[in-house]
Amino acid sequence: MYMPKRILFDTDPGIDDACAILLALASPELSVEGISVVHGNCSLVQGTTNALSILELAGVSHIPVAKGCALPLVQPSLLAPETHGNTGLGYAQLPEPRLQPIGQHAVDFLIERILAAPGEITLVAIGPLTNVALAIRQEPRVVGAIKELVVMGGAIRYEGNTTALAEFNTYVDPHAAHIVYHAGIPATLVPLDVTYECVLTPGDVERLLKIESPVTRFVADATRFYMEFHDQYQKIEGCVINDPLALALTFAPELCTYRDLPVDVDLSGGISMGKTVADFYNYGKQPANLRVALEVRARDFIELFLERIERLALSSKP
Amino acid sequence: MNPKRIIIDTDPGIDDALAFLLALASPEIQLEALTTTQGNVTIDKATRNALAVLELANASQIPVISGSVLPLVQPLRASAHIHGESGIGNAYLPEPQTSPLPGHAVDYLIRRALDEPGELSIFPIGPLTDIAMAIRKEPAFAGAVRELVIMGGAILEPGNITPLAEFNVYVDPHAAHIVFHSGIPITLIPLDVTHKCMLRQEQVDRLRKIDSPISQFISDAVEVYLQESFRLGYDGCSLHDPLTLATIIAPELLTLKEYFVDVDISGGVSMGKTFADIQKLTKKPANMKVAMDVRGEEFVELFLQRIESLSERSTG
Repeated sequence: MYMPKRILFDTDPGIDDACAILLALASPELSVEGISVVHGNCSLVQGTTNALSILELAGVSHIPVAKGCALPLVQPSLLAPETHGNTGLGYAQLPEPRLQPIGQHAVDFLIERILAAPGEITLVAIGPLTNVALAIRQEPRVVGAIKELVVMGGAIRYEGNTTALAEFNTYVDPHAAHIVYHAGIPATLVPLDVTYECVLTPGDVERLLKIESPVTRFVADATRFYMEFHDQYQKIEGCVINDPLALALTFAPELCTYRDLPVDVDLSGGISMGKTVADFYNYGKQPANLRVALEVRARDFIELFLERIERLALSSKP
Repeated sequence: MNPKRIIIDTDPGIDDALAFLLALASPEIQLEALTTTQGNVTIDKATRNALAVLELANASQIPVISGSVLPLVQPLRASAHIHGESGIGNAYLPEPQTSPLPGHAVDYLIRRALDEPGELSIFPIGPLTDIAMAIRKEPAFAGAVRELVIMGGAILEPGNITPLAEFNVYVDPHAAHIVFHSGIPITLIPLDVTHKCMLRQEQVDRLRKIDSPISQFISDAVEVYLQESFRLGYDGCSLHDPLTLATIIAPELLTLKEYFVDVDISGGVSMGKTFADIQKLTKKPANMKVAMDVRGEEFVELFLQRIESLSERSTG
């Protein structure tokens, strides 16, 4: 019998996080078993509201949402309203959710769910890694119990999107990233090297809008803000949707090519603070600790994303 | 006056064990729990030693809750050369009959603090991993803790693990950074003062004369610690962790200064160095009180008297 892959999201929604959640809900290969929320693109409180609103938008009410950490471990708080708008969802206006988060802390939620199904759960971490790092440190058995971890983060042979060198999720909590990268969990890193190839164009959004639905309207309103940001700062026509690619790799790994590499994060506090470093020539004589996505069939991925969102829009049409 | 209610967060460790015993010997203190962390020893040994020392002192009603297995970012480091393989030197304590409470030290500390905001004083005498995790996991924790009295850091004194860094801070400097900047009222007891509180051979011999499991335990436990201290050129072994309790039982012995204090976490030669802005060069407001001087011999004498009377009470 075909069993969908069981996943947990750790997320800071966030425009592209929202798109990743919608893609997951639209994908029959996956069973989304919970969402843990972390600070990042927006505050913890806002991110939690957004996660609940997105579930309601998709007509889903059975997936638990757990609030996690409001601050990075060591670094000062850094949110991204210029990228994601003041609500974290660009120009999209979603009604105040009726759903509530569960009472359990996200760290405890992750620990409980992962230990309850050893070897079963794929964790898709698409925000700063504070929740995941604390879960690993509070309950080391998490490391052996996770089936697979997919992390959206880092910029390997690509410029940073937060400093000249560093990618946002890793830069916001580099100490947490250091903990997670070296934990010994089988993990795939999905860096800007591949996500920045995946550009959602205005034409793609027009195609989505041919279906009249709150889901397509949401994706259009949310990404319009993102497109303006990308146009202004990065001269990209369209917007890169980082997080949905990480999610897609859980069921369509063939979209990328990978290399197993020793990967580390700079914590020394200088100009390269938060830079994710891969040792391609193994100068450091360290074993590979992450599988890194280095190339992507970008248009195939965008096509998959559009088809899935269309399907979700049609099925949730009022 | 009501005794002060404290929880000790600890990595026992010889001088940690001495601190529990001093707390139990002091009517000014009500020891409510021990939470454990890796540090001097691994977490399994730390929790075992905490339970065993409480049993030795007939104090098994005090709960022990097991905590952090690893420092946040840095690799694990245990100091067998100081504390012996077991963590309690050459002392032998039987396998404890009691068990730790279920649950994690971090959650226990959070619950205790939030249950009685402003009531609970925590004495972290090991690496600060548990306290840092509690702060980050529950943002209300920092505001609910009455105070922290921390054994850690070397301000003007040389380090005891690198030329600059003190052990507890060095083992988890990121945790120390989180705790120091948390806004919780802190008193820091650095090596600058603990190195003035030396337990000397003749004082250990004085304890050994008392026929009691407690005094025998102490004399056996400090044997390795004393030898290592002599090798480093000291004339005795430092009562690092017990000195934190002087803030309750003999505060007049300590000279406290208010400073802005920070920890180097940049990974270079000064990694884990605790520094105080004594000249107010950074213009940053003070974030803790730091003990910069102590009448050390008086504290050691007080320690001995308290331990002697605890030992005598437990002979029969």
